[in-house]
Amino acid sequence: MPPFELKDRAAIAGAGASAYGRRLMRSAIDLAADAIAAALDDAGLARERLDGMIVTFGSPIGADADTLAQVLNLKLRAYNQTWAHGRFTASAIQWAALMVAGGMADYVACLASVSFSGFRRPMMGGAGDSEGAREAGGSHGEDPVFGMTSPGAGAALVARRYFERYGATSAQLAAVPVAFRKHAALNPAAIMREPFSIGDHQASRFVCEPLHLLDYCLINDGAACVIVTSAERARDLRKPPIYIAGMQPLPAGREEFIWAYPGFGVAQQSVFDYDAGEQPVYRMAGVGPRDIDALFTYDAFSILAWIALERFGFCKPGEAAAFTQDGRIELGGALPMNVNGGLLSEAHIMGWNHQVEIARQLRGECGPRQVAGAEVIQWANAYGDSLIYHR
Amino acid sequence: MAANKGDYPKPRPAISALNRPYWDALRRREFVLQRCGECGMRWYPPAPLCPRCWSRRIEWTPASGRGRVSSWVVFHQSYFRGFDAEIPYNVAEVELEEGPRLLTNLVGVRNEEIRSGMEVEVVFDDAAPDLTLAKFRPRRASA
Repeated sequence: MPPFELKDRAAIAGAGASAYGRRLMRSAIDLAADAIAAALDDAGLARERLDGMIVTFGSPIGADADTLAQVLNLKLRAYNQTWAHGRFTASAIQWAALMVAGGMADYVACLASVSFSGFRRPMMGGAGDSEGAREAGGSHGEDPVFGMTSPGAGAALVARRYFERYGATSAQLAAVPVAFRKHAALNPAAIMREPFSIGDHQASRFVCEPLHLLDYCLINDGAACVIVTSAERARDLRKPPIYIAGMQPLPAGREEFIWAYPGFGVAQQSVFDYDAGEQPVYRMAGVGPRDIDALFTYDAFSILAWIALERFGFCKPGEAAAFTQDGRIELGGALPMNVNGGLLSEAHIMGWNHQVEIARQLRGECGPRQVAGAEVIQWANAYGDSLIYHR
Repeated sequence: MAANKGDYPKPRPAISALNRPYWDALRRREFVLQRCGECGMRWYPPAPLCPRCWSRRIEWTPASGRGRVSSWVVFHQSYFRGFDAEIPYNVAEVELEEGPRLLTNLVGVRNEEIRSGMEVEVVFDDAAPDLTLAKFRPRRASA
């Protein structure tokens, strides 16, 4: 047993976002200011009381935590920042919960901002991609010497292996982005709202085969923020607390690849039949996959939804291809996923837009895209971390 | 990656004190991997110690240069100007007989003919006067 219990001790007290757009031509600091102000207003919290911050995607595309404290005149007792990857959303919320439990801060703004339109040099693949320059190679398999670049290429390696190993097809994978686009059509904040068909997906150009353009998320501008505080403090604020019941941290090692669970056989992973067993997040929260009313996942590429479903035991390895068909992951289906539209269609705010949507769903604020009676919502990712929230 | 030298238009490897023996061996047309003198493990990418037993008694020794394609992709989008003339070009992950996997380009095979599990062998590509790359081609039946 851990030395102290964190289940339901921390909560999201406020959630807010800037506008999202392909080319807003606004600075990341400006967008972050909108998101932080919106989250504080949502919580009914005066900005003077904000004393902690964690940023998961900073310069040169996003605004850094220390910059935001300076420019927005915030008096932070504690802040932290990850290097610029999308994978640290759950980590940030987990650290914020620990900061609050340990008395290092009372109200922690967790966020990311991105302004690709304010930044000329291509970062997501190509000569400007710092991942490819990492000693021992990039974390998504980047190896520029052979033209291997961009996070999507690593996802394409996983997709190919999945298709080969399980006999699944790109047309089956299309069910994921098709579903998320349907959700985005119900979301006025989403950037891409025009529904498309499986045929449209199949006809869209390859970026890195076997992934088509419509398997890729957006590159855009925007910011999103949630305020983490203790459950006690959250109960005194404007909106009902969104309790954090379960936490599972982000793993690393030779048996991990950012886009595949252990045993998958990409990079230096062993090859074996993965068994999800009981993932720690469920044990901590006291629920199982069957209790999840809606699932949110980091869908930078459509294949990541399949990997996440299998990693967390919603279905067995190889079964996600069939599991995601027939509307099962759509609003009204057995397991609605990314009902905001996801990174694929709402916006790519490093998963912070998903956290904002989860808070709004659990408060019943989502109108035509509301998951009826949503009480327990999970954030669970291909790379193995997770949060379980409830109202 | 290092700045391009001479006329070589593609990204060069980031050569470090750790991986230099690998790249130096390729220039001699040798394909080498590290080997643990304690437990015999072979691995890639280069490491300062054996990933299994953490022994520092490690050496660079010749490897088979044979393996199988474990996954592959085909780039249709331009990311590097130096690769533009080759679009659509393949990148394959090859699982070496010794166990580790590495990324490479497959040569001597059309992209449509690449298959999972395809047996391949190393071929030395003298990409520039000071740079040789380990690419792979389908193994010949007699090999």
